[in-house]
Amino acid sequence: MSLSRSPSPVPGGGWASPGLTNNLSPSGRSSPTKAYAGGSNGTPVMWERQKNMGGPAYQSFSTQNQGFFSRHMRRISSSLPRFRHENTHGAEREKIGVESRWSGLNMPRLGRIRSLPGRMSRRTKMLIVFGLLFLLGYIIFYSTPPGFFVIILAANVGGGVMEWKGAREWAIERDSIRNKKKYVAKWGYDLEIVDMSTKKRYAHEWRESWEKVDFVRSTLRKYPKAEWVWWLDLNTFIMEPSKSLQDHIFDHLEDVTYRDINEYNPLNISHPPADPYLDELSKSPIGDGNPNSIHLMLSQDCSGFNLGSFFMRRGTWTDHLLDVWWDPVAYEQKHMEWEHKEQDALEQLYIAQPWIRKSTAFLPQRMINSFPTGACSEKGTDTRIHYDQKDRDFLVNMAGCEWGRDCWGEMYNFRELSYYLNRSLWERFKEDLLCWIWFKITGKKVKF
Amino acid sequence: MHFAYPPRKSSNPPPFRPRTSAIPTIRSRRLKTIGLVCLAFLTLVWLFQRGGSRRHAPPAYHKPSGNPPVVIVTVFNEGKYGKGYLDMVKENRLKYAEKHVLRLRPPRRTRLVGQPPRRPTRHDHVPDAAYIWYLDQNAFIMNPNLKIEEHVMKPSRLEELMIKDHPVVPPDSIIKTFSHLKGHDVDFVLTQDKDGLSSSSFVVKNGEWAKFFIETWFDPIYRSYNFQKAEQHALEHIVQWHPTILAKLALVPQRILNSYSKEKGGQDYKEGDLVVRLYACGEAGEDTCETESQRFAQWKTAFQNS
Repeated sequence: MSLSRSPSPVPGGGWASPGLTNNLSPSGRSSPTKAYAGGSNGTPVMWERQKNMGGPAYQSFSTQNQGFFSRHMRRISSSLPRFRHENTHGAEREKIGVESRWSGLNMPRLGRIRSLPGRMSRRTKMLIVFGLLFLLGYIIFYSTPPGFFVIILAANVGGGVMEWKGAREWAIERDSIRNKKKYVAKWGYDLEIVDMSTKKRYAHEWRESWEKVDFVRSTLRKYPKAEWVWWLDLNTFIMEPSKSLQDHIFDHLEDVTYRDINEYNPLNISHPPADPYLDELSKSPIGDGNPNSIHLMLSQDCSGFNLGSFFMRRGTWTDHLLDVWWDPVAYEQKHMEWEHKEQDALEQLYIAQPWIRKSTAFLPQRMINSFPTGACSEKGTDTRIHYDQKDRDFLVNMAGCEWGRDCWGEMYNFRELSYYLNRSLWERFKEDLLCWIWFKITGKKVKF
Repeated sequence: MHFAYPPRKSSNPPPFRPRTSAIPTIRSRRLKTIGLVCLAFLTLVWLFQRGGSRRHAPPAYHKPSGNPPVVIVTVFNEGKYGKGYLDMVKENRLKYAEKHVLRLRPPRRTRLVGQPPRRPTRHDHVPDAAYIWYLDQNAFIMNPNLKIEEHVMKPSRLEELMIKDHPVVPPDSIIKTFSHLKGHDVDFVLTQDKDGLSSSSFVVKNGEWAKFFIETWFDPIYRSYNFQKAEQHALEHIVQWHPTILAKLALVPQRILNSYSKEKGGQDYKEGDLVVRLYACGEAGEDTCETESQRFAQWKTAFQNS
């Protein structure tokens, strides 16, 4: 007979349950002790009696109200930090020890674990030590620390100043933010939601949408541990939250990026720069070719640079770029013709100043910035630009949807598509198989 | 006393037995341990290299080795000035360069009107120069014994010289030079005269920042803007609007680098100064520079004596 929990002691000081005496499994002991043998006659086991038997170092069988830990267990354990299990076997092995120590209500198990190092062979110990060393090395040198990536999400665009912010706008914002929040929580990144409401920064000029620069800078300051920031416009949706940024981009930075803009060059920028005063590095089409020098990663759409989704890495180069990006002289001369403001300014800088090119890399647009068919649609669907659900593109940017397209409709469709594509096995089983069978049998479409 | 004392021990303990062989045999067990340790070490190295390269390493750009220490850049306007005068300026630079084994940029470019005239560095030619000293054409090096890298650019010397917390554009710009700047942080040294920043004599430390700075200064946006004094006002503009440039800039007293021939424009030349610049001689007339240069002809004897 086994009991799921040990019975309560009787006030007289004994066990009320006669069955217990025959079964020792709740205690976790594998071999019966001599001391206990006398108790098997069905009479309550008395504390005094057990003492008289003089059992070996096994004081009591009571599992409740026994010892410091069992009495204060709840109080201690509730104040302890909790850890999640998502490590490799080395960590688990360690964790078993730790957890059992805290949750060890029954002494025998605790004692057993205490004596575990003594009973282990030296070889096992060595193996564990190396396993831990390996794990430590992995954590220190290889794994990405939390907060290494920060996503900046531009929310509250316009702040309802220029246009009425209605239910749809709120819904878009809610969905977009939830999407990023989930992604960030899943992979241990940070999310910075910035307020893009229209503000009058200076007495004489509007710097609408130039805030990008200021926000990237302030985010780098706010998150001193962040190495990369990822700017996302509000009308974006991460379609494949199961892909981490490391897997998707950063583990093979060299292979996924291109430095030579001639590979896809909608603006026809002449590259590499050929001025006679430049050094070899500046004249090289791919910079130094080393992914370490990449500090800005963006994609190009049908009409040039697109800053709806781009990465910037902390560094001197980035400081310089963020500093010169907005310049009153450039602004004064160009604000009428620069429709896309900071995007045009960056293009201008890229064209004019070779030092910018040395640390800029491009990603194929569909890696970080797929468009729905409504955007860039003058020349029809382009496999370089438009979202394709067969390829499971990573992110959709509904660029320009506020001009004549239905932002909320697009956002809703992509959200549902993302859920559909990322269904769990069980959901697939239900929906693809069971519902299908049900449909074949009864001719009715159902949803479980 | 029936019990005998235990036998005495010898006070000289017996020597250890000699080893059977010179090298102790490594037992298989230990061999395994050593193997494991090596493996773990290699794994760590591998992880370090892989992970390290991906995460924190800054880009590895060429670092100038400092040979030659300084390059002097002077832009000559061959159309406007007499050949004799220009040859004299050239000789002045060459003599100074010879003395300190510097390099001189072959000065062949003509000044283009309406454009900031200069690209002070040509990174491709002397990538290993530590400093680039731009010196205006109408200037003479007067003291051959002063070296740029010691007289101006040595960090400890710079910390003495730097004018801190001083309006960048006199008299009352609200942008002031940083007060907490250290000598080795400085990449750009120049002077102020009565009009503002003087771009006729300045020193830039060769490196990535220099490229950033010069390309920004030379940006077509500034060239097309019609700054009243072209490159000089462009410089004042970027210095005041872009803190990453201001953070590398040090103002030094004018006579360290840029004494004037007349007191009108700024501080005038005194015996022992490094440089004298013929102030505004180009605007005064064709030969003014040449006649003015006679006043400072003593540089020739100074070079001979040193």
